[in-house]
Formats: sequence, C-alpha cells, structure tokens
Amino acid sequence: MIEKLKKLAKEYLVSGKVEVIFGLREKDNHLAPHIFTKVEELDSLVVSPQYPLFYTCRPSKKNIIRLIEEKYPDIKIGVIVKGCEERALIELAKRNQIEMKNIEILGVACSREEAVECKCPRPYPNHPLLGEKVEGVFEDKNIEGLLNKGWSERLAFWQSQLSKCIKCYGCRNACPLCFCQDCAMEQELWSKIGEIPPEIPMFHFIRFYHLADRCIECGECEKACPMDIPLLTISKQVRKDVKELFNYESGLDVKQESPLLTTLDEMPMKEGANE
Amino acid sequence: MIEYKNVLTVCPYCGCGCNFYLQVLDGELVGILPCKSHLVSQGKLCIKGWNAADFVISKDRLTKPLMKKNGKFVEISWDEALKVVTEKLKQYSPDAVAVLSSAKCTNEENYLMMKFARAVLKTNSVDHCARLCHASTVVGLGKTFGSGAMTNSIGELEDADCIFVIGSNTTEQHPLIARYIMRARAKGAKLIVADPRLIPLTQFADYHLRQRPGTDVALLNGLMNVILKEGWEDKKFINERTEGFAELKEVVKKYTPEYVEKITGIPKELIMEAARIYAQAKSASLVYSMGITQHTTGVDNVVSCSNLALLTGNVGRPSTGVNPLRGQSNVQGACDVGALPNVYSGYQSVADENTHAKFEKAWDTELPSQPGLTVVEMMNEAAKGNLKAIYIMGENPMLSDPDIHQVKKALENLEFLVVQDIFLTETAQLADLVLPGTSYAERDGTFTATDRRVQRIRKAIEPRGESKPDWQIICALARKMGSKGFEYSSPAEIMDEIASVTPIYGGIGYERIEDIGLQWPCPSKEHPGTPYLHQGKFSRGKGKFFGIEFKEAAELPDADYPFILTTGRTIFHYHTGTMTRRTEALNREVPTGYVEINFKDAEKLNIFEGEIVSVKSRRGKIEVKVQVTRKVPEGVIFIPFHFAESPANALTNSAFDPVAKIPEYKVCAVQVEKKPSLP
Repeated sequence: MIEKLKKLAKEYLVSGKVEVIFGLREKDNHLAPHIFTKVEELDSLVVSPQYPLFYTCRPSKKNIIRLIEEKYPDIKIGVIVKGCEERALIELAKRNQIEMKNIEILGVACSREEAVECKCPRPYPNHPLLGEKVEGVFEDKNIEGLLNKGWSERLAFWQSQLSKCIKCYGCRNACPLCFCQDCAMEQELWSKIGEIPPEIPMFHFIRFYHLADRCIECGECEKACPMDIPLLTISKQVRKDVKELFNYESGLDVKQESPLLTTLDEMPMKEGANE
Repeated sequence: MIEYKNVLTVCPYCGCGCNFYLQVLDGELVGILPCKSHLVSQGKLCIKGWNAADFVISKDRLTKPLMKKNGKFVEISWDEALKVVTEKLKQYSPDAVAVLSSAKCTNEENYLMMKFARAVLKTNSVDHCARLCHASTVVGLGKTFGSGAMTNSIGELEDADCIFVIGSNTTEQHPLIARYIMRARAKGAKLIVADPRLIPLTQFADYHLRQRPGTDVALLNGLMNVILKEGWEDKKFINERTEGFAELKEVVKKYTPEYVEKITGIPKELIMEAARIYAQAKSASLVYSMGITQHTTGVDNVVSCSNLALLTGNVGRPSTGVNPLRGQSNVQGACDVGALPNVYSGYQSVADENTHAKFEKAWDTELPSQPGLTVVEMMNEAAKGNLKAIYIMGENPMLSDPDIHQVKKALENLEFLVVQDIFLTETAQLADLVLPGTSYAERDGTFTATDRRVQRIRKAIEPRGESKPDWQIICALARKMGSKGFEYSSPAEIMDEIASVTPIYGGIGYERIEDIGLQWPCPSKEHPGTPYLHQGKFSRGKGKFFGIEFKEAAELPDADYPFILTTGRTIFHYHTGTMTRRTEALNREVPTGYVEINFKDAEKLNIFEGEIVSVKSRRGKIEVKVQVTRKVPEGVIFIPFHFAESPANALTNSAFDPVAKIPEYKVCAVQVEKKPSLP
C-alpha cells in the first residue's frame, strides 16, 4: 500500500495538483511529520497509525497547518491523513482554526488490526483513496467493567488513577483539538496550581468537559500520558453521551455545527427529549 | 519555499535522556513533538520537556560578548573578547587559574574544556557541578564495583520484583524514570521508599521508611543486620563474587532494628519487613539520588547502598543493581569525558604515570600531574586570594553552590572572571567578561543519559545573534593562546578523538549512534554497548564490601537553630532556574520560592499558609513564603533551591565529604522566625 501511496503522492506533486505533501517521514528508524517538496524525498514517506501528523504548536498554540497557512496563504498542501487525522482537520476547520480551501486530502484507511490497537471507532477517512473501510472498535473493556461497579468503586478507581498524574499537560499538548489560548486546565478556578498530583478530579475533568463536543477519539491523550492513566475511557464515554443526547458526532462534516455551540441561542434543548 | 523539519534531539533537562523533536518552520523553532519510538520517553514527556522550546526563544538570550567597563556591561566584538581573555589568562601561573565545565554542555565540549585546562592552562583544576550532586557516587561505586555509574538501564526497572527508592524524589526529578517504577508497581512489584518527606512515590509505596535526615547509613546497616540475622543473604554470590564480607558482618552486628529505630525514627517492624521484601525478591533494584549523595557522609551512604545490593546478590543481572539517577542532561557525560580534577576522560587517573604519558603523547604537549581543585576548594582558594582567575562555562555557582555569601566573596575577590553562558545569570553578572554560548537547540553533539546511553543532540536552528557553540569558542581561545590540537571541523571529529583516548567510549562514533545511541562501556567498533554492568565480573574484579559506621551530619539542630533544613527541587523547575524561570508554563505553576513546614510546627510558631517568614542559619538569612503541609515531618523544613529571591543556598552548610568533597545540602540547622507585624 505504501508504494501505491508514494506513487499517488508523486502524481500529485508532478501534476502540480499540490505544491507540497505533508506526511510522515522515516529517518534513522524514527518517524516524524515532514513536508515533502521534492519527488526524490518521497522514498522516505511512511504511514503509521501510531504517529499523528499534527499537534498544536506551543507556545503559539496554533496547529502547524495554521502556521503554514499564515505564512503561505496560497500554497496547495496535500495532506496524507488517516481517519483520526481527517476528523481533526474537519473539527479544526469547523472551529476556524484552519482553512480547508488549500488542503487536498489524501485519505488512507487503517486495517482492522490497527483499529483494535488504537481502540479506534472509525479507522478510515470519509473518502479513502487507499485501503478499505473496516469496522471500528466500539466496545471498551474498561467502560464495561466500570459501569458494572458501584459508585464508590468507580470513584476509588479514578482517584487511584488520577493520583498518578504528574501534571505534564501531555494529554492536552498531544490533543489536536486543544488550541485554546486560555486553557481551562491552567486556571486556578478549576484546580490549584503548582501541585502534583493536581486536584482530583477537576484538573482532568475540566478537559473532558471542554472537549465533549470536540474529541475525535484519536487517543493521543492517553498515548502521551507518562503514567498510563486510561484517559480515553472517559473520553469515549463522554463522546457516547454527546451522541446519545444530541445525535452529534465530531469530525465528520465541517458544516455540521456542534450542539453545544448552538443549543442555548438557537435551538433550545427539549426537556425530556430522551425519555 | 516552505522548509518544515522535525529535528530529533535530547531533552536539555534531567538525565533521563528523553528524546523529542524540535519543530522548525523556515528556521524558526515553533514547538516540540514527543518521539514515540524512543526507548525511554516512548512519546511521553514531563512538563519541562514539553516546554523546552520557551527559553531557547527567550528575549533574554545573550547575543554578543559583553565586557564590564566602569561597572557596566558593554557589547564588544568577538575579536576583542578573545584578545582580552587570552591576554588575561596568559598572565597567571597554572596554580592561579581554574575552569568550571558544564553538565549542560555536550561531551565534546566538556572534553575540550578539560583539554583546554590541562593542555593550554596547564592545570588540572577543572571541575563542574557533578561535584555537587554525584561526586560521592563516582567515588563510592568506584570503590565497591569499579565503576561509578548507574549499573542497569532505565527500562529494566519495569521488570523488577522489588524497587527500593532511597533519597530520590523520582517522580519530580526524573519523571520518566518514575514511569517505569509505576509500571513495575502495576505489574505487582513491591515498592519501598525511604525518604523523610512525603513524596509522590510514597503514596504508592508498600513501605515508607521515614528516616530522620542524615541517618541513611544506620538505616541501610539496619536492613543488612536483619538480612544476616535471618540468613537471607546470597551466600553463593558473596563467596564467588565479593570480598570484605567479614568486615561488613562485624560492623552491622550492632545495628539491630531497635538500635536503628532510635537513630532513624523508623519503627523496627517496618525495617524488618522492608529487609525481608528486598532480600527475598528475585530481582531487586535500588534507586538513589541526592538524598544519599549530598551529605558529609555521601560516600558512606553510597557504599552502604552498594553493600546492601552485594549482600543480596542484586548486581550484574537485569532489573537489579544500584542505580544513581543523574540530575542533568549531560552530567554523566561531563564526568565520563574527564571534566574532573583527578581524572582524564574515562576515569583515567591523572596521577597514573602511564595515563599521563598517554595523554601527553596524544595531545603532543606537557601536562600537569598533580590533581587539581574541586568546586568548593576553588571558591575557598579564590576567597584566600590564591586563585586569581576562573573561566566558567554554563554554570551558576551563585545559586547552586552551598553558602553563597561565601561564593560571592570568592568570585568578587578574583582578578579575572570570564563566564560563558546563554543568559546573564547571577554568576555572569559578577564577570569581567561574558561570552555568549548557544543552547542545545543550536548545536550538534552528544549527551550521555543517566543509564550511560550516549545520544545525539542535533542542531535545529541557527545560533542567536553572534552567539557561538561552546566547542567553537573553546577552540578559538585555545588557538589564540597559541596551542595546537584544537582544529576540529565538527563535534563528530571531537568524538573520534574522545573514542581514541577513552577505552569506555572506544567504540562510539556518530555513525553508530544516530538512531538509539550506545551505552558505555563500548570498547570497540564491534561492541554492542552494555545495558547492565558487572555481569559475571565486576569492573574492579570482585565486588567489595566496606563496614561503615553511622556518623551524624556535620551540623545538627540545637536550641538556637532547632530545625533541620533539607533542600531540593520541584518538578516544575530546574536547578538555578535560568531556563525554567524563563518558561511561562512553569512560572505559572510555581512563580517563586517557598518553605514547607509541618502543620504542627506552624501552629507552634503561629505561622500561616502564604505568610512570609525569615529562615536563618549560621551562614545567612532569607525571607520566604510558607507552605503549611504534612509533606515534611515535624522538626524538618524543605526549601527548593531554584529561586534567587529566596536562595536556599544562602543557608546551607559548605561542610563536605572528606573524599568526594560534596557539600551537605541535605542537612543543616536553621531557625524559622515569624516576622514582626507592622505597628
């Protein structure tokens, strides 16, 4: 598949359909995002479900795509994306963090095995150019196990997990949708600053709430956690709640507005709509 | 056209050796990406690592050489700066000059700095802040094992059955090593933590041994007493691989749990249980850091850790060992390449005739044969007027050394002080001349992580203004002083020279370390590196026991100074704060210094959270904000040393270990006073 992708990327570059290709590159046995400007460079192009393409750059708190768009407003960029990365792009565009007009998407679907490894519910972009759409992963052992337990056991579980936190902010920094200039996690209003572990559970839960309608379930938060806190378990549950309550799923369509941004002014939520 | 690259490099903070990418867009540093394929960091970082781009792009960076004229710094050209330094340094005899090298600089730069001291200035007075953190490790483990470095690899911790952490706040000081301790814990390993403070690890410990500060030898002897009494020692290992056992056995006899409880304050039942858990584990890893080393009995403490591991056969196998955690990105490397007054690179003694001859031949020059001065001795000699000039690269003794009033006097007493740094630090402000160096992001080289892994750092962006990489500055100075042997085209070439004269680095070359690095000893180009030391045979042949008696700290609390002050760091800052206090995300978390005081003591003194109190020792007095807490026990206070406005080291005792010359940062006597309220 990778050879097909290289060929496709090359065609895009040579034909002038795009001026640069944004994808993963392998160098010295390590993988990192790269902008390919020449055809020869494409030899080192790779795809991997474990390596995301774009993070929010800090200290500017802007996505790398945004930084590029600001400097090169007219350049056409071919972006090689997996399902999660396409959802991130869509969600970022929806929230005016990037523009899609100069982005050409080269979508790649992940395999079922890769989806299982990432616990990914939708391991493909909307229109994959390569690979087949395979079924995602919906069941989560952690969630099922916890939902079968009582409140106090659940609380004890999370207290013990969250007390491992060293406040690296990796969950936020690795999140493609965490771009707020004033991050709620940093505010003393929600949790006392300068302490580890940070206040339980508010430090983490303010992030879950804040991302309720943004999270695209890529799992990068959990993968970035040095203390192996199962953050995706909560994200998945919150995302499931948002879907059940509002029939809304983030990252699918730029035009689809978030219910959390619209309900108060435009479409008041009907009480008891779920009953 | 767009140039967007991600440059893999090593984090500039602690010794974990985490890798990350510097994200560079058209030559501008725009962010940091974790590296998922790195052995230790595995795509994770601590808060300092995630924010390691901030200080690089700080407006405070030095961009031009500065010379003090009429008490004020003025910018001068590099030509003039090099001329002044050369003329000045040439005036003094070898005994009157010294250099301080840096654990934040690369192996190549530290090698050149020690070569500069020895081959150009003809003095062995070259040292660096390893003196202040792990000098006792280098001496202690050198004596017992023959190699003063972490015996095992970071990742191996995960598979230990028991981890004994003594005097290391691993979670805060080596967060990515704490990761492996926590993972071991999740897999069922037992965790024993010995620390006077409640640290993040203690809440996950099976046993928390809360010793009175400075009583580690008694505690370790107590554990060994129990092990011997119960017959849990590894007799086969002791017979086959060690010597000096009879001496140890004799000494630890009297350290019964009852006796040790009296000295340390730890209940005897806990000592007995911890001894059992450690001794009966299939593989037990001992992890220690500054809580062991920074004492007047630092070497004794280290040797006692080593005794315990030898007694139970926990050396020379995976997931065992005695594992000192090094606190700076390249403090291991700075020691390895010989930025120490008594050894050349690879711990080859300057007093050894063959080594001396070897280096004279390799460098084609005469070399001094007397060992030089250590950091604290340099300050003492400067204060006395015997030392006239010091060349400091990337160190800030004005905050990091003990008893800084004395340090200030010493540095002001010098005729010539040149400081090479990336910021105008507290020390640089005292300099006659300041040379602008580059940060880790602007140069190539290697750092050696705490588990002896030599890894590449890579230049991602151009130096700021006229600043230059340290290796280029040292070479330019050496050439200007008329010395040969300082013509290198790149750091890779310097590493080739290091490999040629340093057996433990013999097989290391850039072509072999681009991906994951190599762990020394790596004596030849074919050698795969060494994940854990002393397999089958100790570096010195047999592992050696020493019977060590407990000695009290140099200064104990009394009626005038009733509290024990212990100092250290927090997860949010690093050392003297030159980098972290220029990082917004870290300053927001902890903007200034504080003193932790037990709630019962606070009540007695009628002081409250957030109040400013004075803390006074025989050497100085500071004012600092109170944090009322359970973290410290009654009678003990803790102050982090990062903050110039409340410098813990104005209080600390410069009394040092007689052999390793490491000062006693962890114990001194102080008084806490409520400030009189305004009328």
